[in-house]
Amino acid sequence: MSSATAQAPPLANAPRVSRRRKALRPYLLSVPAVLLCAGILYPFFLGVSYTFFDFSATNPQPNVVGFANFKEILASSEFWASARVTLLFALAATGLETVLGVGVALLLNRSTLIGKLFEKVLIVPLMVAPILAAIMWKLLLLPEIGWVRPIVEFFGVHGYNGTDSPVMAMVWAIVVDAWIFTPFVAIIALAGLRSLPKSPFEAAAVDGGGWWLTFRKLTLPMLWPYVLVAVIFRLMDNLKMFDVIFGLTSGGPGTATTTLQISAYLEAISYARYSSGLTYMFLLWALVFVISMILVKYLRRLQNRAAGV
Amino acid sequence: MTAIDVRSLHKKFGKLVALDDVSFTVDDGEFFCLLGPSGAGKTTTLKSIAGLVQPDSGSVSLGGQDASDIEPNHRNLAMCFESYALYPQHNVFDNIASPLRSPNLRLPDGEVRERVGRTADMLGVGHLLDRGVDQLSNGQRQRVALGRVLVRPAHAYLLDEPLSHLDAKLRTSMRAELKRIAHGDLMTTTVYVTHDYVEALSLADRIGVIKDGRILQVGTPQQVWDTPETAFVAQAFGKPRISFVSGGLVNDNGVTRFISSDGAITVPVSGVDAQAGETVQLGVRPRDLTLHTGAGEQPAGTERLDGVVYVLEHLGRQTEVTLRIGESLVSVVASRRDAEGLGVDDKVSLLLDPARVHVFGDGDDGRRLSR
Amino acid sequence: MGTTTEPMAEPAAPAPAKQPPGPPSTANQRRAQRGSAAGLFGNLALVLYFAFSLLPVLFIVLLSLKSNAQQTTTYLWFTPTLENYQTVLGLGDGGSSYVRFFLASLATSTGAVLVSLLIGIPAAYAAARYRFRGSEDLMFTLLSFRFAPELVVIIPLGVIYQQIGLYDTIFGMIWVLQLVTMPLVVWILRSFFQDLPAELEEAALLDGYTRRQAFLKIVLPLVRPGIAAVCLLAFIFAWNNFIFPFTLTSGDAQTVTVSSLAFLGGNQVRFNLVAAGAVMAVLPPLVLALCIQRYLVRGLSFGAVKG
Repeated sequence: MSSATAQAPPLANAPRVSRRRKALRPYLLSVPAVLLCAGILYPFFLGVSYTFFDFSATNPQPNVVGFANFKEILASSEFWASARVTLLFALAATGLETVLGVGVALLLNRSTLIGKLFEKVLIVPLMVAPILAAIMWKLLLLPEIGWVRPIVEFFGVHGYNGTDSPVMAMVWAIVVDAWIFTPFVAIIALAGLRSLPKSPFEAAAVDGGGWWLTFRKLTLPMLWPYVLVAVIFRLMDNLKMFDVIFGLTSGGPGTATTTLQISAYLEAISYARYSSGLTYMFLLWALVFVISMILVKYLRRLQNRAAGV
Repeated sequence: MTAIDVRSLHKKFGKLVALDDVSFTVDDGEFFCLLGPSGAGKTTTLKSIAGLVQPDSGSVSLGGQDASDIEPNHRNLAMCFESYALYPQHNVFDNIASPLRSPNLRLPDGEVRERVGRTADMLGVGHLLDRGVDQLSNGQRQRVALGRVLVRPAHAYLLDEPLSHLDAKLRTSMRAELKRIAHGDLMTTTVYVTHDYVEALSLADRIGVIKDGRILQVGTPQQVWDTPETAFVAQAFGKPRISFVSGGLVNDNGVTRFISSDGAITVPVSGVDAQAGETVQLGVRPRDLTLHTGAGEQPAGTERLDGVVYVLEHLGRQTEVTLRIGESLVSVVASRRDAEGLGVDDKVSLLLDPARVHVFGDGDDGRRLSR
Repeated sequence: MGTTTEPMAEPAAPAPAKQPPGPPSTANQRRAQRGSAAGLFGNLALVLYFAFSLLPVLFIVLLSLKSNAQQTTTYLWFTPTLENYQTVLGLGDGGSSYVRFFLASLATSTGAVLVSLLIGIPAAYAAARYRFRGSEDLMFTLLSFRFAPELVVIIPLGVIYQQIGLYDTIFGMIWVLQLVTMPLVVWILRSFFQDLPAELEEAALLDGYTRRQAFLKIVLPLVRPGIAAVCLLAFIFAWNNFIFPFTLTSGDAQTVTVSSLAFLGGNQVRFNLVAAGAVMAVLPPLVLALCIQRYLVRGLSFGAVKG
């Protein structure tokens, strides 16, 4: 094929790369990322160490107090109230988002004209900064200027007071969170629906299974890994949700919406009691960590099973 | 001179043993075929030579130089991947030109164009040079991938199933083309991986048969056909496949005879390297048998086997007849005329030349015991 | 042995399936058989949801166009004015630092994305192409950043930043925003790299290119759309972040998300100004999001769902 004009450099002159240097390659590529992780883990562990001190703005020369912060906080009713609020908010919001999101996905998946139109604007709330979304809703809910009061009054409900009552504050916080993040669940569920194989559904149609039966026995089980991905992300996010609650209610009225993140913020930033705030945070972190471990493990098993491993 | 020296390669992927002590050498200008079923370790062997797979132990030498520490891009090898591995963002011309423009060669544009054009014409893709890779059929992609190899001078060509996705007619003509290139004036050393024994027999100077990461036999096409080292190697060549009958050896007045387990077949075998009483299998290639019809003379020195027709397959001018002899099935290829009028369960006889049988130990891995 | 007989993959990720999907058609047929009552109900539900979804946006846009006098007295019918935008941008009376906040947002978000790319691309590539000890640990450490409550890092970081002078600086923000952008970049890019057959790079190596050249000439162009999408998504999340600039800046590096709170304080609350500020802060991420629709699913799920 070739004329003798072209020849690659002879093998004897080829540069040599030892086995060890080859094995080192991926590590070298990862060094910057590892350094970055270290740069972020350092403050994290510093923060964890603060939980054993009595560090605050008024006490810049902290002493070791051992587990005193943990003891104090775990014995306080505020902590448990806050933990309850956190769980209530996270579970309710995640649940609402999941149900709404899967529902919206199912409806959009029918590819009706109206659905195609809506699909284009589906992500709008998701792209609004959560803090801005909270502020938008705060204004929308204001009895003086918002649209919600006239709407509920149109339906004959009187005594609307926005987020002034503890129960309604929590309800609206959940609604706002769902407003932002339902599209997140819907987008992932929709992608899941669109990747499902067709043949089982055709078989089910031939067999004459009803819509509900098909959904429960076919769609849902096959869609579940996708939904679970969304649920994991939402639950983790909602457990540490700050922006929405801070922007909407700042934790009030009273402590009705004071989640652990808000408590920690108040302790550490507003009252400058760093150690105490960090102890709150560390406890929340531990909770999130444990839950995420369990969920991710479950998801992996599910995916492995789906992949037939 | 030795172009490629592969010495006791071992490679595991997790728990899976891909290569288990693979050794062979390829001489300068030689066309070496690696033949084996899928999963045998053919591609891993090829990639080890190329330096793309790092073997757990063992070494590869190229032209007498230990290549272990040489990066793939400095080994001066050209490889054709079974998955084609064409660059999807480039058109056909740029794909084929890629090695010529690399830092190793850096040919001037004029020569690149000339070489790419010549190679593409030879492979019948000259009219596709401006096409995107995604606009090609699988067969066209495969030829472009082959072009990327043949366009350049190299220490050796490594070809991984380069004809597998061509249609039958094209495959035959490309095989001839490859043979012309390989055995022509250029004589680039080639390692050719295939699962198709016809390709191996027709192209190779020597063939290495590989299975489960082990090389079973290396030899010329003549050697692997006439004296297969194991039952598996015997089975790897020829269609219809060699028939195996299991049985044992007995000593009958100084003559060693093979007797099938059910006693229905007995054949004298000579020069067998085994003890009487050992379990062995007798291999007979279907084309070494003849159908004995009617009352014609039985030629001297042949053995006669009687059986009944089990399956008949008419394949144009020839007919593949499978006979049941006792509990064994034996295939024979007969001319259509000889097989005319035969029906299932008809009684027929076979004639067998005892010099052309093979005796192996028991099982797939059974070693050759004849001669 | 590790060979793929599949034909060459499409460049980068396969596009989301556009064919009519499975479950719906059957569901649709049943609906048709049962009459359109259920379909109608479904459409009604969709309309309700999207009314809920778009109402606040419409509300805030209208509010931003209302004059001071009209903001508490009207709902839908009013004379629109752009004076709120002028005020927020400091063009009219009063003046404000909104433009500076906007630029700070731009600088921190862009910087955070660039740093993440620079550090993340090699790491993502290594994680996709090599099996090496610690690879999964690194990936999951990064992922855990995404799920960690931010204050755990913010409080000690605030102390450190005060000491080394990074408090209220763009660079300080870029550093801490890595918590947001880095996990995203590495996880999504790894999934893009994994989609590319390794034999492409191997072919380039045998063609005589170095590993670096193979990556730059062959791999990078193929994942460029993916990288672009990741950039935009990371930018959006960095831009939308609130808690980091809220706690770690006070003026110079303050971003638009934080500044929107400013109009809420004070003794005279100017809701229409809040609305105008919010609309402008929301626009960049919204516009960018429209550009990456195709990769949104994979991006949002960190590569867990290919879409």
